[in-house]
Amino acid sequence: MRWREWSPPAITILVTLVAWEAWVVGFRVREYLLPAPSGILAVLAAEWRYLALHTGVTVYEILWGFFLSIVVGIPLAIVIVYSPVLERAIYPLLVAAQSVPKIAIGPLLIVWAGLGIFPKVLVAFLIAFFPVVIDTVAGLRSVEPEMLHLARSMGASEWRVFLKIRLPNALPNIFAGLKVAVTLAVVGAIVGEFIQADRGLGYALLQASAMLNTKLAFASILILAGIGTVLFVIVDWIERLLIPWHASQRVETAAGTL
Amino acid sequence: MLNGHKFVEVSDVVRVFATPEGEVRALDGVSFDVQQGEFLSIVGPSGCGKSTLAMLIAGLMRPSAGLVAVGGRTVDRPQTSLGIVFQNPVLLAWRSALDNVLLQVEMRGLDVRQYRHSAMELLASVGLEGFEKRLPHELSGGMKQRVAICRALIHDPPLLLMDEPFGALDALTRDQMTLDIQGICARGSKTVLFITHSITEAVFLSDRIIVMTPRPGRIDGIIDVEMPRPRRLAVREGPAFAAYTRQIRDRFMARGVLRDIEDPSPLAPLGGFPSPLASPRGCGSPLTPPSPPGGEGAAGA
Repeated sequence: MRWREWSPPAITILVTLVAWEAWVVGFRVREYLLPAPSGILAVLAAEWRYLALHTGVTVYEILWGFFLSIVVGIPLAIVIVYSPVLERAIYPLLVAAQSVPKIAIGPLLIVWAGLGIFPKVLVAFLIAFFPVVIDTVAGLRSVEPEMLHLARSMGASEWRVFLKIRLPNALPNIFAGLKVAVTLAVVGAIVGEFIQADRGLGYALLQASAMLNTKLAFASILILAGIGTVLFVIVDWIERLLIPWHASQRVETAAGTL
Repeated sequence: MLNGHKFVEVSDVVRVFATPEGEVRALDGVSFDVQQGEFLSIVGPSGCGKSTLAMLIAGLMRPSAGLVAVGGRTVDRPQTSLGIVFQNPVLLAWRSALDNVLLQVEMRGLDVRQYRHSAMELLASVGLEGFEKRLPHELSGGMKQRVAICRALIHDPPLLLMDEPFGALDALTRDQMTLDIQGICARGSKTVLFITHSITEAVFLSDRIIVMTPRPGRIDGIIDVEMPRPRRLAVREGPAFAAYTRQIRDRFMARGVLRDIEDPSPLAPLGGFPSPLASPRGCGSPLTPPSPPGGEGAAGA
């Protein structure tokens, strides 16, 4: 009965592709305006070496940006939760930093970080880390006050409370933040490449558009969508492994067994 | 049962809370003792400060004035030689029933292996045999509260604090839990402080009952319950039981916590009752006070 789960999206996609193809062929739409799906697939096959090279670069930037958002975001959230003084010191800065359009500081990042991969990683990190911090703070704070009273009556050290109560309790929120962050890291890497790059899918996309090679541009976009989806699914999978008890997962499995 | 030794001493305790509307006096000059091995209940309306009393005795809150002592020592920090049960079972969602009981042991840095067997026995003694590996979401409300009670008992504390432990349970489960608690407390020589708003539960379980006034919480009276133990559920229909509940109810009526209908006709107008709580911040009342005609009552709704 698994096909009942995947068949509705599969049918939707298939119908869309067929309609698209029919439209382009039937109305003789010019290829540089809107290529047919078959044409895009043909370019994907023909240019796979070129596209694979740029995909590798972009994935590398995304993963570094995402990784940095975790190793900076989660400790920052812990500091915010445990120190009211630092919270007051950091939070306004954090919100202000989040309000700055990342693309606006892109040119500055190039001045500071040079032309290589690093400024792209920085943009990906800057866009992705905010939801990690916010959701981790919310998660660490979501412990019931009675549970903390009990922990104190058990004479538990703050470290034990963190390790055995606060952190596991925060995992559902942390993963909610990570899922948003991983898709934002894809956006960040492309934005970084748009500002300045000589490789990566963002660069390939700009080059293809400049030469009116719309098929290649579509192929790049398709790969980007694929990267975002695959990374999201991986984070979701790790979440299921780590927190099988989480309520939202329970509801999903219950629905899945119908 | 009593050996006359004061285990908990509360003397002239005042507790004031700062709220946006100003200071609220939750407790005002409260003094009482709990004897070692005694089952003492505190009954009172919502907002009478009875939960605050539990927090003060547990050392999780400081009195604004007065003294609290447990086992002869002034309480000035969170107490660790006690077990606490709240209205909400507060189990960790990712731990099995057994591991939730053992949390008490882990948090104290004790050797979990040594307590595993007694945790299993404890769970079996409250009817949870075979449910040790279940996660909280697989248990009913009553079962979760039993796990919470086992967690409060696993380290065999001399004092058990229960703050409306059956408040969220259905009537049948409450009856069963009341019997279970009686059984658990009969086994050891625990001192129990049981906080409730149920007169019936208090009379059924207690050696002594402290009746509180509405806010600010003061002691309205202390009632000795002299009925033989173990008590069966049927004692609740007996004359002695009725006399005790009447005694408490009369106190609540004298304070306006409860108001009987004036004309005992079956057609007493609904919604015509005055608010059962005199305290302005008293929560838990589903009735809105009747607004005076043309008054400001409607604007506040």
